[in-house]
Amino acid sequence: MPSTLERLAVPQHADESIMSRGRRQELLTKAFDSRSGRERPGQFWKIDLDGLDFSALNVAPPSAPRIKAPDKPGVIACDLTTAARKHPQLFARAFGSAAGALNSKFAMLATALCNTGTFIYVPADQAVDDPIEITYTVENGALFPYTLVLLDRGAHCTIIERLEGRTGDTVCGIAEIAGGENSSVTYASEQSLPAETQAFFTRVAAPGKDSSVTWCVAELGAALAVTSVDVAIDNPGVQAQLNGFFFPRDNQHVDLISTIRHNVGESQSQTLIKSAATGHGQARYLGNIRIAPHAQGTQASLRDDALLLSPHAHIDSVPALEIGANDVKAFHGATIGALDEDVIFYMESRGITRAAAEKMIALGFFEPVIERFPTEALRGRLRSALEAKIA
Amino acid sequence: MSERGLRVQELRASAGGTSILKGINLAVEPGRVHALMGPNGSGKSTLAFSLTGHPGFKVESGTVTLDGLDLLAISPDKRAKAGLFLSFQYPAAIPGVKVANFLFAARQALHPGDLPPAKFRALLLEKMDLLDMDPSFMGRYLNDGFSGGEKKRLEMLQLAMLSPKYAVLDETDSGLDVDALRAVGESVNAMRASEAGKETGFLIITHYPRILQYVKPDVVHVMIDGRIVKEGDAELAQRIEREGYDTIREEIAQIA
Ligand SMILES: Nc1ncnc2c1ncn2[C@@H]1O[C@H](COP(=O)(O)OP(=O)(O)O)[C@@H](O)[C@H]1O
Ligand SMILES: [Mg+2]
Repeated sequence: MPSTLERLAVPQHADESIMSRGRRQELLTKAFDSRSGRERPGQFWKIDLDGLDFSALNVAPPSAPRIKAPDKPGVIACDLTTAARKHPQLFARAFGSAAGALNSKFAMLATALCNTGTFIYVPADQAVDDPIEITYTVENGALFPYTLVLLDRGAHCTIIERLEGRTGDTVCGIAEIAGGENSSVTYASEQSLPAETQAFFTRVAAPGKDSSVTWCVAELGAALAVTSVDVAIDNPGVQAQLNGFFFPRDNQHVDLISTIRHNVGESQSQTLIKSAATGHGQARYLGNIRIAPHAQGTQASLRDDALLLSPHAHIDSVPALEIGANDVKAFHGATIGALDEDVIFYMESRGITRAAAEKMIALGFFEPVIERFPTEALRGRLRSALEAKIA
Repeated sequence: MSERGLRVQELRASAGGTSILKGINLAVEPGRVHALMGPNGSGKSTLAFSLTGHPGFKVESGTVTLDGLDLLAISPDKRAKAGLFLSFQYPAAIPGVKVANFLFAARQALHPGDLPPAKFRALLLEKMDLLDMDPSFMGRYLNDGFSGGEKKRLEMLQLAMLSPKYAVLDETDSGLDVDALRAVGESVNAMRASEAGKETGFLIITHYPRILQYVKPDVVHVMIDGRIVKEGDAELAQRIEREGYDTIREEIAQIA
């Protein structure tokens, strides 16, 4: 793909305070030389993620996201450029600390071309109870948002990331969490990009000892949504949770991979994924749980349910547990199916029309995962978005 | 207006290509309690599902009318709107749909706009209390992880909240302990004593006459092998309790 490389260089307007142009170009070259690592057999999946052409991308000039954060002593919530300039040490502690190790094509692309971003820092023992809300809007070309979260010991916060678009330009981003000892963070993403967008996201966390990290991932929009969620547990006492759902309709494609790496023992992880597809919607989910040979005392569970609402919709759902240690509790359960006729009949027998019954069942199917998302406002938006998709 | 009642005439129905109901004649009158008794496999649930329009059962011939309305011509939800209710022998679970929300949707479907949410909630709490159900039930997912007794109580709660014209209770009593059985019986009696329920006709399906000690039937129909073979008053139920179905089977064999 050398021609692709030559055509897409780091744009002139790239911000050098985050990263030097040389380093950006190096990463970009590496990104184009790498494979996506997402090739796997899918009976119906037709998109070759390694064959995607990024050469014609019109990279948007640098911009700042909209950030809404409660005012708390010592808490920083600002755009990434400001953070790199004003808080270089904090910035350097976090930037690339979790994502750097991934060697993932889309993470490298996002970093190399980063043109917007947010830095959240919560100092030791500070609890930010009200959510910090970040909105990225695609409007002037391809967007490469980088959200960087650094929590010191005992810090706590909730972050809601909203992805919206006025144009269908490509989005490729990263959310990176560096969690200190005893910290806790909930990070929810609400992807409701326009129907023609291609979106690539890498969400990666490195939690500290006795800390907790919860990812809540809602993939609602975009023509193609490719997401990786990765938690590297290198400290004992970690509680990691991933709650995710997606619902491709029409010709939408969703490709989600989650990887929980239990590199040390005495940690817990819970993964809950609910997916439905209708129309010609297509989705793949690969749920990795990796328990290293010495990670004794690990407790990991993965539950993944898929609901097919049309004969042309497909979901390939694969739980993949690699268990190297013997003193662990690992559970996984996966279901896939269509709407249950007996349930529909039960509801009809109560006067509810078939169409209304199908809608209630499908919305109910997502409810256990929606309940785990933060704030009533967000849950309400997610329910409305799902309702609109079912209609 | 034609004759009131839930009227079944010469109903034949099959499932999976097997003929099950072989010409059922039965009429449930408003305000009366009919018991339908019969051994396991005699076709009682098939009758309940044929009346309510379960897609797994095929009506081959015959008629079913509800206060004159042809039920067989309309969809299951319209049958419910016409005033028919079925308490399921095996109620379905709907994960993610809360009891209160489901009941509100059903009440809205059957009696649009007649109860604002606050009044609905008050009525729901009152009916739950009658069934010894904890208010926390309202927030649980419908039948999801419910015990057998909880499921049957929930069926009775729906009966009470939906005020149908005709209620078919398919083995609501089976598998219940004494307390649950009493709660079910009392809830039916409370409904019959109420203004909203005094005209309701009941078809209580059971293969075991226990529930009839709580709710006294006006008429008892006995079904064996897809046919109503005998009808009588409450005494017939007591006889079945004493003798089982064998002596009735012998009687029919002699006639035939
Ligand atoms: N879906 C079905 N396909 C084939 N046979 C069925 C089906 N449902 C019920 N049956 C048969 O019909 C007969 C009557 O069943 P059912 O109506 O459930 O009886 P009851 O409720 O009186 O116990 C039984 O022999 C049963 O096996
Ligand atoms: Mg039965």
